[in-house]
Amino acid sequence: MLPFSLTFRSGIPVHDQVVYAVKKAVVSGRLRPGDPFPSVRAMSQHLRINPNTAQKVVATLTGQGLLEVRPGIGTFVARGSASSAAQRRALLSDEVERLVVEAKKLSLEVEDLTEAVRDHWTRLSAFPGR
Amino acid sequence: MDTAIETDRLTRHFGKVEAVNDLTLSVPDGGVFALIGPNGAGKTTTIKLLMNLLQPTSGRSVLLGTPSRRLDPATLRRVGYVSENQELPLWMTVRQLAAFCQPLYPTWDRALADELRRGFDLPPDRPLRVLSRGMRMKAALLCSLAYRPRVLVLDEPFAGLDPLIREDLVEGMLRLTEQEHWTVFISSNDVDEVEPLADQVGFINNGRLRLAEPVSALLGRFRQIEVTLDSDDPLPASLPPAWLLPEAGSRLLRFVDSAWNEPETDRQIRRLFPTSRQVSSTPMSLKAIFVALARTWRSTAVSKEVL
Repeated sequence: MLPFSLTFRSGIPVHDQVVYAVKKAVVSGRLRPGDPFPSVRAMSQHLRINPNTAQKVVATLTGQGLLEVRPGIGTFVARGSASSAAQRRALLSDEVERLVVEAKKLSLEVEDLTEAVRDHWTRLSAFPGR
Repeated sequence: MDTAIETDRLTRHFGKVEAVNDLTLSVPDGGVFALIGPNGAGKTTTIKLLMNLLQPTSGRSVLLGTPSRRLDPATLRRVGYVSENQELPLWMTVRQLAAFCQPLYPTWDRALADELRRGFDLPPDRPLRVLSRGMRMKAALLCSLAYRPRVLVLDEPFAGLDPLIREDLVEGMLRLTEQEHWTVFISSNDVDEVEPLADQVGFINNGRLRLAEPVSALLGRFRQIEVTLDSDDPLPASLPPAWLLPEAGSRLLRFVDSAWNEPETDRQIRRLFPTSRQVSSTPMSLKAIFVALARTWRSTAVSKEVL
């Protein structure tokens, strides 16, 4: 079993979807620093994706400091990954940018956006564990 | 070996029908190339030309460095081929079929064959005749994977099979990628199935290869665009050629941008539609891209190259 979960949506590159799923698992604490990360082959087999794509996912996440490859041993969730609030926030920068761009296209003000985020936050907080 | 498969102006006519026309492509070692196209587009003919099951009218194809017309047993032992209409000796059991194939291939990996048989859930001692079509496809794939070919050619492997069988076939196919050298050339009209698998995709239509490029590049440059306009202005006489299937109505403009680049697309929209108020761009699935392209090809003269 993989330590992160995802359901593929078509139209978004598989690479981006897997990277996002792993980041989410790290942010939520499902993957912790030092945890072993599945091999390229295991990811390819479990997700039924091209191993070249799985390889690129590992390269991207290693490049971003989320994973570390220990030659001859395996790949692990990097120590210190997502340890500070700032690093955790950085994980969301792409998503935040997308949200801001969409909000601007809809001619919303920053207050509208923060209010929408706050509403959503409150609603989800009512269901602990999500 | 950097190139697994190459075709150079490959052409095959059946009477007046140009089944494959001037098809040039190159498939590098180490990836999955998916040849996508509607039924009758020329996918199977291309593969048959590649495998030397048909002679080209002109042009040529090369498999692992050997011209298809001169494919020898030594090359064929490094190539796996499974087609939708695979002919199998139906009186044989799966075990007998494997035992029959094994001596033909010096690189036959018995442990892999056993693993695949168990993974595919294939009954070893029942004749192929009584097995379902999906089970037979799995048996055929087993016999094409067990000698660890460097190139695997699959002609419509998923057609008409249930999802569970498809997953088994994909898992089996992925076993090939454990090796140093591997290439999969797969033809399909099931775009959704190949989207997570393919590195590169080629779209073939009316025997012509209309485009061939990495899936990530294709998903990156196509967007469904919707523009909300302030007034019911008519469409300008000429729109950028990369805008496919433009439609306008009740203060809305919709098109598929085949050269999407956010700032550039926004600039074009603002220039052509100064009253535009809101622009939304939505990523498209490979299937949606394929449908948009197929519609465009249908609505334009065959000779006009849109892309």
